[in-house]
Amino acid sequence: MADFFFHTVIGQILLIVLESLAVLVPLLLGVAYLTLAERKVMAAMQLRKGPNVNGPFGVLQAFADAIKMLTKETVIPSGANRMLFLFAPFLTFSLAMVAWAVIPTGNGLAIANINVGVLYLLAISSLGVYGILIAGWASNSKYAFLGGLRSAAQMVSYEVSIGLVIVSVLLAVGSLNLNDIVLAQRHVWFCLPMFPMFIVFFISALAETNRAPFDLPEGESELVAGFFVEYSALAFGLFFLGEYANMFLMSGMVSILFLGGWLPPLGIAPFTWIPGPLWLIAKILFCLFVFIWVRATFPRYRYDQLMRLGWKVFLPFSLAWMVLSAGFLMVTGLLPGGAG
Amino acid sequence: MNWTLALPEIVLALSGLAILLAGVMQKRGQAFFSCAMMTLLAFVVTGVLVVISPDGTGYSHVFINDGFARFMKVLSLTGAALSLVLSVGYAREMEIDKFEFPVLILFSTLGAMIMASSGNLMTLFVGLELSSLSIYILCAFARDRVGAAEAGLKYFVLGSLASGILLYGISLAYGFAGTLEYAGLQQAVRGSAVLPAGLMVGIVFVLVGLCFKLSMVPFHMWTPDVYQGAPTSVTAYMAGAPKIAAFAVLLRVMAGPFGSMTPQWQLLIEVVSALSMVFGSLAAIPQGNIKRLMAYSSIGHMGYAMIGMAAGTAEGTRGTLVYLVTYLFMNVGAFAGIVAMRRNGRAVTRISDLAGLGRTDPGMALAMAIFMFSMAGAPPLAGFFGKLMVFYAAINAHLYALAAIGIVSSVIGAYYYIRIVKVMFFDTAVPALDRSPVSVSFVSVGMGLVTVFFVVGLGPVATAAQAAASALFR
Amino acid sequence: MMTQIVFYVFAAVLVLSATMVVCARNPVHSVLFLILAFFNAAGLFLIAGAEFLAMTLVIVYVGAVAVLFLFVVMMLDVRFAQMREGVQRYAPIGAAVGGVLLVELIMAFTHWRVAGNIGQITHLVPSSPTRTNTAALGDVLYTHYIFLFQTCALVLLVAMIGAIVLTLRDRPTGRRQNIDRQHDRIPQESLEMLQVPLGAGVAAQGGFLRPHDSYDVAAVPGTYGTEAWRAREAAEQTQTALVVITPAQGAKGQDDE
Repeated sequence: MADFFFHTVIGQILLIVLESLAVLVPLLLGVAYLTLAERKVMAAMQLRKGPNVNGPFGVLQAFADAIKMLTKETVIPSGANRMLFLFAPFLTFSLAMVAWAVIPTGNGLAIANINVGVLYLLAISSLGVYGILIAGWASNSKYAFLGGLRSAAQMVSYEVSIGLVIVSVLLAVGSLNLNDIVLAQRHVWFCLPMFPMFIVFFISALAETNRAPFDLPEGESELVAGFFVEYSALAFGLFFLGEYANMFLMSGMVSILFLGGWLPPLGIAPFTWIPGPLWLIAKILFCLFVFIWVRATFPRYRYDQLMRLGWKVFLPFSLAWMVLSAGFLMVTGLLPGGAG
Repeated sequence: MNWTLALPEIVLALSGLAILLAGVMQKRGQAFFSCAMMTLLAFVVTGVLVVISPDGTGYSHVFINDGFARFMKVLSLTGAALSLVLSVGYAREMEIDKFEFPVLILFSTLGAMIMASSGNLMTLFVGLELSSLSIYILCAFARDRVGAAEAGLKYFVLGSLASGILLYGISLAYGFAGTLEYAGLQQAVRGSAVLPAGLMVGIVFVLVGLCFKLSMVPFHMWTPDVYQGAPTSVTAYMAGAPKIAAFAVLLRVMAGPFGSMTPQWQLLIEVVSALSMVFGSLAAIPQGNIKRLMAYSSIGHMGYAMIGMAAGTAEGTRGTLVYLVTYLFMNVGAFAGIVAMRRNGRAVTRISDLAGLGRTDPGMALAMAIFMFSMAGAPPLAGFFGKLMVFYAAINAHLYALAAIGIVSSVIGAYYYIRIVKVMFFDTAVPALDRSPVSVSFVSVGMGLVTVFFVVGLGPVATAAQAAASALFR
Repeated sequence: MMTQIVFYVFAAVLVLSATMVVCARNPVHSVLFLILAFFNAAGLFLIAGAEFLAMTLVIVYVGAVAVLFLFVVMMLDVRFAQMREGVQRYAPIGAAVGGVLLVELIMAFTHWRVAGNIGQITHLVPSSPTRTNTAALGDVLYTHYIFLFQTCALVLLVAMIGAIVLTLRDRPTGRRQNIDRQHDRIPQESLEMLQVPLGAGVAAQGGFLRPHDSYDVAAVPGTYGTEAWRAREAAEQTQTALVVITPAQGAKGQDDE
């Protein structure tokens, strides 16, 4: 059996497909329930009940939404660029999926354990802007276009500080491999020694996923839903799924870079009984809860404030921190050798 | 690693950053003058450091410092400093007196210095980009004027194309030798019995890229429009330091790595040189705008300077270097005159605006006349000696045809230079020009004196050029 | 075998999309094809084992540069007909130049030959199987080529200066806040609490009141609507009036052609 999977071409391909399914199915299920969780959590914070009609505690609400979305008519606005209009949601959705190829859920447990994993993640997350920009342009609508432009500017701006934060993590690890990054946190999670960077990264992740308080691209009060105002039915659903899958991805990145990935908080008995993947899932869920918590708490940023925060606060701060940590590692001799 | 070799560059770069910071800190609109003065100071300090800097190669052979590099660097710094002095009064009148102006000139000069010291094709390219990019911005500095925007854009687009061609040539050379260092390339070229066509194409591309920067015919198309559209003090700068730097790398690359294949590229240089001289002389004749005229004039001058290079000997290189010295001084002087051409607070650039200058402002008319005669190559002014030395080198290298074309075209060229003198002294007077700022008069008088009494300093200049040229042909 | 197939697929798509960049009628499509070309180039890098370069290409060119391209192209109101006016006229020349170049390059590459003594020339980086190419690149970049690395940084700095100096304008209508001041404000300073009698409305009390200094307090002095701005505006109006009386002053610094 193992022979079939490891030594024949068909077996290898089949193995990859199975591995991908093992990641994607839980992910998609998680995305479906994240939408429900968001509504429930926010309802609880606002002293409401939230969806409670479909099934006990509303657990079937996610499926009801899915069926509704699938059975609606796809409306394509006149003057829209049909091909790009339909391409954009697929792009957003599939990018959020392919990024999971490199996320390790246990020691060496990733679909592709590549040497430049963190760069791969950065590359994929920087591509996310295309789905939105193309959707905005192809819709042939002012609101959608404005939303797309806002999003492009916002995501490109915050990517810079995300990159610098990642660089300061890499300085401490000495490798671009995600597996090595997690293993380097065996003694202490990076969120403690690099607490400010952790915060910067998390806030930038909010901006990168267009989540409140940085959800200007879809600003429903002024842009009536922003870049996907013209989308309906399945295409809208794909955007929706893609956005929530991106939240998962960003939470995964936060967990791996700062919260020790699959590692338990302490390497002693009761913690080590729980398998690694469950720890990772728990951390991701915690991050997602914070995502929702932030949304329920803070008002939306004004556009100039958003840009100011990105360029004038985060960028200099993360740059200074990067130089500082490089100097610190150099002076204390903790700098890992460039073997990786 | 001998990092102190690049001390002048490091000092200049750091002072550039400091000046930028100082400019940002000051109140907007008031920073220009102080920043310009600081930049001048930085140029002077760097110049001193260049003169006392030691010989050697550093930074894993990407950086060479020798007599040739020092000569070219001092020349570039001089050109930059003089054109900066020209822009002090001019920038205020043109309302382009932002503190970034001197900073960009500084960085452009830094790029020129790095080019002069290049020991690796990558250094060449990076220095060239640093120098050119600053100039693109400077050309478009008066951003609200259509002419300036056109000049900046045109230069940028064509310059990028030329950079691309240069880079392609460099990569072909790399494909041949597997290294970008001049020493390694030289070794590879010397050691190969048969040189592949790919390397030849690469060398031609490198030549084309550099000839574009020098505005040699047939890569001169951008020159008149850019010279005309750019602010005059920027034009004065463009005609100085960047051309000197481009000549520096051209001489170094052709004498060094590709020196042993002189017969292969010599004809190309001869043709380009001859075309530039002839075209520069003929096309300048119908011009009515003095900045365009200067553009064609500079095309021609680059052609003369290249005669020395075509000779492919140390003597020819010496001739080129002396020619560049004389060109720099008379060119800056002529541009000082053009910068001073203002009537009722507005810049005027037509040749006919100079009519009657001999009566309304005899001092300036005299200075302009000196520069024009010098450019035409009339003895005993500076331009004469430059031409004499390159023609002499060409004849010694048996390039009789090239020397003959040079002499004929300088006779033709004399026509349009002397026409300006005629307009100034013999045409009916138009209303007088405004009084020129002190800094412009200073440059004008200074360059005039240098041009007239160049013969006194010819000995030391020729000795320095000889030392520089022999450093190249060691 | 597999690698070769993948290589030819990437190469073919790269060439095709590069052609489409030039040929596409819609500039937005051109940029999208350009992005496709970048991707395939990254794929070629991956095949060559240069995974760091591949990722950097995607991050820098696709993730940032092409986004800005797309940004600009989408906002431009390009008139295609006008753009294509010259094509007919210049196409033959362009094709001729391109053709000559192509023939030359084919001639050059069919007889390609590296230097005979290439073994004796010193090369900087000995390849080593134990090092990833990311580490190798870093080693060379920050030691041997530190001079070039820093010079490239200066090139980027100059580009940044250029972008600012050529585009930044002080808009007379710009409203900018002094952020620290804005953060320091407390409701007691900026809000006036009124007791409104039931059913009477607020008209009797002068409508909704807003402390008149509320904008000025947090605004950067001199920006739109502040006291300093009003003073300057008034001064400029006087100046304009003077220019109207003496039109001979004219605009400064213009060429006469």
